Amino acid sequence: MAAERHPKTVIRWAVAGLLLIAIGALAAVGKPPARKYPNRVPVHFWHRWGGEWEKVVAGIADRFNESQSTYEVIPLSTPSGGADMKFMMGVIGGDPPDVMSMWNGAIPQMAANNLLTPLEDLMSTEDRRFFEQESYPVIRQSGMFRGKTYGVTIGSDLYALYVNVDHLKEIGVDVDKDFPTTLEGLCQLGTKLHRFDQQRNLVRLGYDLGYFQYLAYGFGGGFWDDEAGKLLLDTPRNLRALEAIVRERKKIGHDVVTRFTSGLNTGSDTGGWPFITGDLSITLDGQWRVEEIRKYKPKMNYRVIPMPPPAEGGTPMYGTLSGNFMIVPISAKHKDGAWQFIRFWSGFSDREASAACFNAGGWLPLSHRAVETETFGKWLRENPQFQAFLDIVASPNCKPMPPVPYLQFLNDKIGRAEDRAARGYVTPKVALQELQRTVADELAKRKEMGYED
Amino acid sequence: MKRWLRDNSTGYLFIAPWLIGFLVFTAIPFVQSIYLSFTRYNIITPPKWVGLANYRMLLTGDDLFWKSALVTIRFAVISVPLAVIAGVTLAILLNQNVKGISVYRTIFYIPSIVPTVATSVVFIWILNPTTGLVNSILKSFGVQGPAWLADPFWAFWSLVFMSLWGVGGSMVIYLAGLKDIPIYLYEAAILDGASPIQKLRHITLPMITPVIFFNLVMGIIGSFQYFTQAYIMTPSGGPQDSTLFYSLYLFNRAWKYLDMGYASAMAWVLFLVIVTLTALVFRTQRKWVHYGG
Repeated sequence: MAAERHPKTVIRWAVAGLLLIAIGALAAVGKPPARKYPNRVPVHFWHRWGGEWEKVVAGIADRFNESQSTYEVIPLSTPSGGADMKFMMGVIGGDPPDVMSMWNGAIPQMAANNLLTPLEDLMSTEDRRFFEQESYPVIRQSGMFRGKTYGVTIGSDLYALYVNVDHLKEIGVDVDKDFPTTLEGLCQLGTKLHRFDQQRNLVRLGYDLGYFQYLAYGFGGGFWDDEAGKLLLDTPRNLRALEAIVRERKKIGHDVVTRFTSGLNTGSDTGGWPFITGDLSITLDGQWRVEEIRKYKPKMNYRVIPMPPPAEGGTPMYGTLSGNFMIVPISAKHKDGAWQFIRFWSGFSDREASAACFNAGGWLPLSHRAVETETFGKWLRENPQFQAFLDIVASPNCKPMPPVPYLQFLNDKIGRAEDRAARGYVTPKVALQELQRTVADELAKRKEMGYED
Repeated sequence: MKRWLRDNSTGYLFIAPWLIGFLVFTAIPFVQSIYLSFTRYNIITPPKWVGLANYRMLLTGDDLFWKSALVTIRFAVISVPLAVIAGVTLAILLNQNVKGISVYRTIFYIPSIVPTVATSVVFIWILNPTTGLVNSILKSFGVQGPAWLADPFWAFWSLVFMSLWGVGGSMVIYLAGLKDIPIYLYEAAILDGASPIQKLRHITLPMITPVIFFNLVMGIIGSFQYFTQAYIMTPSGGPQDSTLFYSLYLFNRAWKYLDMGYASAMAWVLFLVIVTLTALVFRTQRKWVHYGG
């Protein structure tokens, strides 16, 4: 018994036990895949694509690695929902990526908290000239905060109407000749395309007017006054947009729409998009769906058409831009490598190679220069519906999101205002007043806390 | 001191992995969050002292704080008693001497060990208004089911009903409590001519009150910390904030809006509420919990 209680023996057993646990844990974690170019400078690239898209992104990293001999980009897919959290933890924990693809809505908040490297610091004179003079203004501005660039796009997102040509034919509408040029006409057409079962449940949604954050621009509204540098929320133009949504929703019934839409598949890489499956006749969606249709239903008869403006006081070719923007953490170890990868993908250097990157995922490019390349031209001829997005992105009515560090909060509240009004809980006017008050309260709180907004 | 070390070092050495983990991941953050609740902190830049500002705004200028608190209280008030009733009923049913009873017990227990995330994802499908299992069954009876997670009323109730999915965990504890009841009590009751209902009311339920008390306390704590299912099934707090549980709002404040100081203040309010409620339940136990046996 005495030997069993001897401290040294116990310590030896304890240490051996702990070692075994540690070895077991390490074995369970496994080893990362071996590097293809171990002698090069590693550039750790985190992104938010999964499934089929992850393979596309890995292919682009491979192309960059093959194009030069100094750096090796090592891609890592992070869960889309928690990517910003993972990024912040990486920075705080001292193990950040060298470059990350981030939703641009998160950029102002990260930049305001000194998490990001101003990319002008990494640009050469020629890079700056190209970026400032040859990129689409709305895309350039979408990566900026307080006059500095913190994100450069590797694929921006815009929305337009996807129209099922066969569904329109059923009711005798020729999409190329008769498609409405006003929002009111679009809504009327949508109503004709609805299909119900005997219990008046929707079995096909013709068109449902929504997405206040986007539609507001069509009414000449929006959420940010660039000249005054202040938010626009409860404005007459925004009110008109919200009233239009509520009016249209009342016609069909909010419950009828949500019952139908909440049962639909919203995934983006499975080919189960409800427009492809025929559950939606006309729907507002992003440009990446062009590539999705090509992949999963190449013979689908469809058109992509910019959202028409309202008959009175509308602005054509409108929208707001979001998407994937490359950011470089302030504490990145290999910023040069990160910037070379951004240059490669965004088209600062080899524009043909860059065009191939954008085409691989059906993403909107940084500059019209990419569109003018032979590669992009060939892809565009094969996917002519993409042209609608190129037209919108070049329009002065296509605006960036408000460049405020509380953008996530703002977007949540704008969405909430639309939902409350669409459900009929409050009038559109009251919904906007509530929105204004909620945001004002939050700003007052931030002011008291010493934030520089 | 030396003697104390010699006598206790072995024990402490064995619990060292847990002790270190507890100190680093629980105790220190717990204490640190008190300080953080009085600061503006975004986890990147150093905390900035703001005094009681977080608490003041929380209590006087944040509608969502009150809304999320109400959602959580409502959930606790409904789901905790429901779980107790369901758990006790199941345990009594599964305490019968019938053939294959252990199989039934296993079947009812298994759901409680399925990971919450997996359960939530399955329930998203089950509650799908057009292709989901629940509405398909309702349809076969001629009933049109609602859009469960898209309707402010049903989204909340969906989560309440879903909470019963894991009742097998407490059911096992109740079952252990039932097995612990001395058989002679029932024998005496039979001799006195007691009916089954009387035996349930005057023997079974009083004798398992310590177990009910334990599950009640754990249930209250768990329901006030309810997060995972709501986060996965209705990440933005559901339609019209109907499933914006307190912990979900706290999480969004912390990680979506990078407002760690505010979130810490919220966490401390939650902690105080849970401690108070637990203390109240403990105070009442003298009146209804019977430890004799």
